[in-house]
Amino acid sequence: MKRLLIAAAAACVALLLLALSALAFGHDPRELLAILVRGSVGSPFAIAGTLLKSVPLLLTGLSVAIAFRAGVWNIGGEGQFIAGALAGLLGARYGVIVSLLAAMLAGAAWASLATAMRLWRNAPEVLTTILLNFIAIHLLGWCVNGPLQERAAQYPQTDAAAATLPALGSVHFGVVLALAASIGSWWLLYRTAEGLRLRATGLNPSAARWAGIRVSAQLARAMAVSGAAAGLAGGIELLGVTHRLFERFAAGYGYAGIAVALLAQLHPLAVVASALFFGALTTGAGELQRTAGISSGVATLGQAVVILVLIGVDYVRTRR
Amino acid sequence: MFELVADALPLAVVASTPLLLAVEGELVVQRSGIINLGIEGMMLVSAMTAVLAAQLTKSVAIGFLGGVGGALLVAALFGAFAIAMRADQIVTGTAINLLALGVTSFVYQELQQGAIFVQSVPRMHGDFVLPLAWVVFPIALALVLWNTSFGLRLRACGENPTAVPHVARYRWSALAIEAFLAGLGGAYLSLGLSSGFAENMTAGRGFIALSIVIFGRWKLKGALLGTAIFGLAAALQYALQAASYGLPFHLLLAIPYVVTLLILCGVAGRVRAPESLGVR
Repeated sequence: MKRLLIAAAAACVALLLLALSALAFGHDPRELLAILVRGSVGSPFAIAGTLLKSVPLLLTGLSVAIAFRAGVWNIGGEGQFIAGALAGLLGARYGVIVSLLAAMLAGAAWASLATAMRLWRNAPEVLTTILLNFIAIHLLGWCVNGPLQERAAQYPQTDAAAATLPALGSVHFGVVLALAASIGSWWLLYRTAEGLRLRATGLNPSAARWAGIRVSAQLARAMAVSGAAAGLAGGIELLGVTHRLFERFAAGYGYAGIAVALLAQLHPLAVVASALFFGALTTGAGELQRTAGISSGVATLGQAVVILVLIGVDYVRTRR
Repeated sequence: MFELVADALPLAVVASTPLLLAVEGELVVQRSGIINLGIEGMMLVSAMTAVLAAQLTKSVAIGFLGGVGGALLVAALFGAFAIAMRADQIVTGTAINLLALGVTSFVYQELQQGAIFVQSVPRMHGDFVLPLAWVVFPIALALVLWNTSFGLRLRACGENPTAVPHVARYRWSALAIEAFLAGLGGAYLSLGLSSGFAENMTAGRGFIALSIVIFGRWKLKGALLGTAIFGLAAALQYALQAASYGLPFHLLLAIPYVVTLLILCGVAGRVRAPESLGVR
């Protein structure tokens, strides 16, 4: 309950700071907050938009939560998201299920590149995962301009994927999948031996080693599961929302996952609420861009402020 | 092929100068026991504040000062969380990067009407940064880090902070040195290499700098060598682009990051990082 209050306070402070920075540039903060609310939850259309944005955020948030719980610094959600979407596109001709499985596998494989470099060459995953993000972005750029470009060869984008997620009212079936992934992650972390080992490794790797846990293998599995979640996010975004790939497909979902997971205090079920908050913020920021000409970068700003406020609150609490 | 690289070499030295400055700054701060992932955001903000300062005063020198000022602001924020509050450095650094990305894109759009980012920036007359970055700073930093008691204590903060009184003071100093260097680098990026600011123009240079610090085993000689290797690879990329062997442009863009990964993995044997690096 206390942690819920902290998270809610952090979210409010973030919104307040956004309003203040808008004020500094001569906007009316009340008007902007009104647009933000109207654009995210003000109409059935806006709510559907928020839900659609929340799905990839929920999955990249789970990806980060699992990795951070295990003590692995997976900052590579962005790259794994793209790898998943690319594999999803290729697998789509065999149907939705194959496509999403391919997306998860590709995300896991892309993340595991970092594990391999960690185990064989002692290269820190916090850097290799980030570098792999840039490589994935340029790989995608090459694909949509080259081998995977649409047959009409007019725009730098692919043809529409051969499969589509079933619709669910004005949203898609990915909403159900994301919720299932959240419950599944909770089950994995808190109700299985694997989850216990994973959390033990994250809390104290040397103690875990003494307790007979094979720490390297544990980290490798955590990284793979984390990558699979980000890859699934990419696959669902492709089959449910964009249907095509283009250069700016990832749109920061991978990095946003870090804020989502931290606001949820790395708890898989709380990630749902956290993803909805950031989904609303992103959707509202899009409306700000359209109607008030304010950069949708304020959503990124909001993510940063939430993380920093959480750190601050944590500091004040532990000092007492 | 060889001539192509030779032709691109001077450009490579110029183009990797912001990177070298970032590497030098990150080396100092990591020697004091802090990993600053936020160096990417630090450079991005300083690239923007440099352009703002240069445009408002029509002076390149003040532009560079503005760049350093912006970097110092980011450093103050990072230090407040990572040093004063002892927060996790990787989480703080990531937040700083998101913040820098959001703030710069917000300000960029707000000021677009004012034409401040549309007009070209004042030109640099003579390149004073290049010799500083490649000769003066490496020598000066090596002298300070390994031949003064300040340097000894700073490095001790990275190895065994309990042995040093006033650890925070040394870490703040290291962070200020980094901000100065990264600020120069960011300003050089927007005022020297390009003629203005563009959203997310640092394009991962900060992360590449972190990788080169590790490759160089936290030594200045290694930092220079690592940046030189990276610069050569970049030169090769420019040469290949110019020669247009029919290699896809987008794959060439990925080369710097692949090279950085190879550099990171090429750290033969066990690397010995400062003992207390990243420990809160």
